[in-house]
Amino acid sequence: MLEARGITKRFGAVQALDQVDFSVYPNEIIGLIGDNGAGKSTLIKILSGVIFPDEGEIFYCGEKVEIRSPRDSHRLGIETIYQDAALVDTMSIMRNTFLGREKTGFAGFLKKKEMREKSIEVLEKSIGISGIVSPEQIVGNLSGGQKQSVAIARAVYFKKRILLLDEPTSALSVKETQKVLDYMLQLREEGVSCVFVTHNLYHVYQVADRLVILSHGKKIKDVLKGDTSLEELTCILCEK
Amino acid sequence: MFLAFFNKFRRTRVGNIVILFVAIQIGCITFSLLFPERFRYIDPTNIQVLLRAIPQIAIITMGVNMLMIAGEFDLSVGSNFTFSAFIMAILFNRGIPPSLSMLAALLVGCFIGFLNGLIVVKTKIPSFIATLGSMMFWRGMIYLVSGHKPASFKPGGLFQSLLTSSVGPLQAQFFWLLLVAVLCYLLLEHHRLGNHFFATGGNRQAALAVGVDVNKVKLIAFVIAGVTAALSGVVSTTRVSSVSPIQGEGLELQAIAACVIGGTSLLGGEGTVLGAFLGATLLYTIQDILLLLRAPGFYLNMFVGLVILAAVIFNQLIKRG
Repeated sequence: MLEARGITKRFGAVQALDQVDFSVYPNEIIGLIGDNGAGKSTLIKILSGVIFPDEGEIFYCGEKVEIRSPRDSHRLGIETIYQDAALVDTMSIMRNTFLGREKTGFAGFLKKKEMREKSIEVLEKSIGISGIVSPEQIVGNLSGGQKQSVAIARAVYFKKRILLLDEPTSALSVKETQKVLDYMLQLREEGVSCVFVTHNLYHVYQVADRLVILSHGKKIKDVLKGDTSLEELTCILCEK
Repeated sequence: MFLAFFNKFRRTRVGNIVILFVAIQIGCITFSLLFPERFRYIDPTNIQVLLRAIPQIAIITMGVNMLMIAGEFDLSVGSNFTFSAFIMAILFNRGIPPSLSMLAALLVGCFIGFLNGLIVVKTKIPSFIATLGSMMFWRGMIYLVSGHKPASFKPGGLFQSLLTSSVGPLQAQFFWLLLVAVLCYLLLEHHRLGNHFFATGGNRQAALAVGVDVNKVKLIAFVIAGVTAALSGVVSTTRVSSVSPIQGEGLELQAIAACVIGGTSLLGGEGTVLGAFLGATLLYTIQDILLLLRAPGFYLNMFVGLVILAAVIFNQLIKRG
């Protein structure tokens, strides 16, 4: 579905990414792992249009594309869920859900009733969002897990095919992590692929179909979960 | 049942300022009824003065409020106020019809705001600093165009009455204020752009990530602040028939104070039009009370300062509890 070839990026003297090939197929969960500084965040930022690579090409369904802005990325059906910057804490769930994609009537005025109804729909459809009473609730009052779930639910509602999740579980409790992981599995059934970026092997190993390991900007392993084990992966990561 | 509603209302940020406002007004009115000679609050003259004077600070506050919600500050609104008014007066005194002169003033205000926005967005200097420089620059420009002398502005006719006439105790300036307030409210609460304002001020990263053009949003906010400053200058100058080069100093801080009293967050992303409106009104009401009580001048500053502190602490407590 999405294929990136030869992605290279330098920040001054630092080689963040070096000729990295990365593919995303439909209906799969990919674990993008590596220690801090491996280049995972940079790759994600390139795919979401926040940064532009120095070298390399990106193909979507076989056709060459350029991702120069978050809008381009959205148009391809990609959405990024950051660890702490996906939602605006001071606004309500409803306003956050439709941020940038507001339902408007005449001259850009908001169709609040419609937005409210759709927000309720979005909340009901997603798994693991318990304890949310109304879409008027301020996001800042939600727990970390709830926030993540709302961000993911939003992406799914807008029919994104590929979700890039940047450290989605790092700040969550055990229970909340499970809910987010279950949600990802549900999404795969519905045809959404997830790229799960983390340095927590134990979380990603539960749900990933395929694991891609980056180290110092290079891809050092791209393997199906069945062909490897937790021990082997830990060894590879510890070696660097 | 009323108590339940009351408590829920109290929990919102704007709820507090409304309650404070109502309480103070009730206090004033009661006092005035009890001691009509010593405290002439309900006196028609006093009400007229209130309704005429509040718009000067309140109109600017509306614009500054929008900008603060979007996460930026504009310290040049005071200079903008006076400079735009001078442009209007000078053009009119050269023979340009008053409506065109007013339009020119508004365009100047728009331009100053746009320039501020451009500097902040392109150079990424904190807006506090950038507009500090802007404030001083335009203050200098005021002295340049005015030659250190006040300018008169007596347009008369329809223009004068549209801006400053009165029907009984109702004042035209106050209607202009209401118009601005209603427009700001519609934009902020019911328009897509308003949503972008809250997002840009609340979490710039998140807004960018979903494709909001944060730079464009900030530019628009700066322009709004500039235009309201100029409008206030136009209305105030028409009221007193002249504009003086030393006018307008301190308005920017008063506007920010009014917004903060009304619950607008200094960090951006939070605020209401009603809150800012009441904040400005409250600020002037306190001044009026002290005037009526014939308190010495320095009491004014002390009390205004205390009110600001109290309001901010109030809002903090609400947030935590």
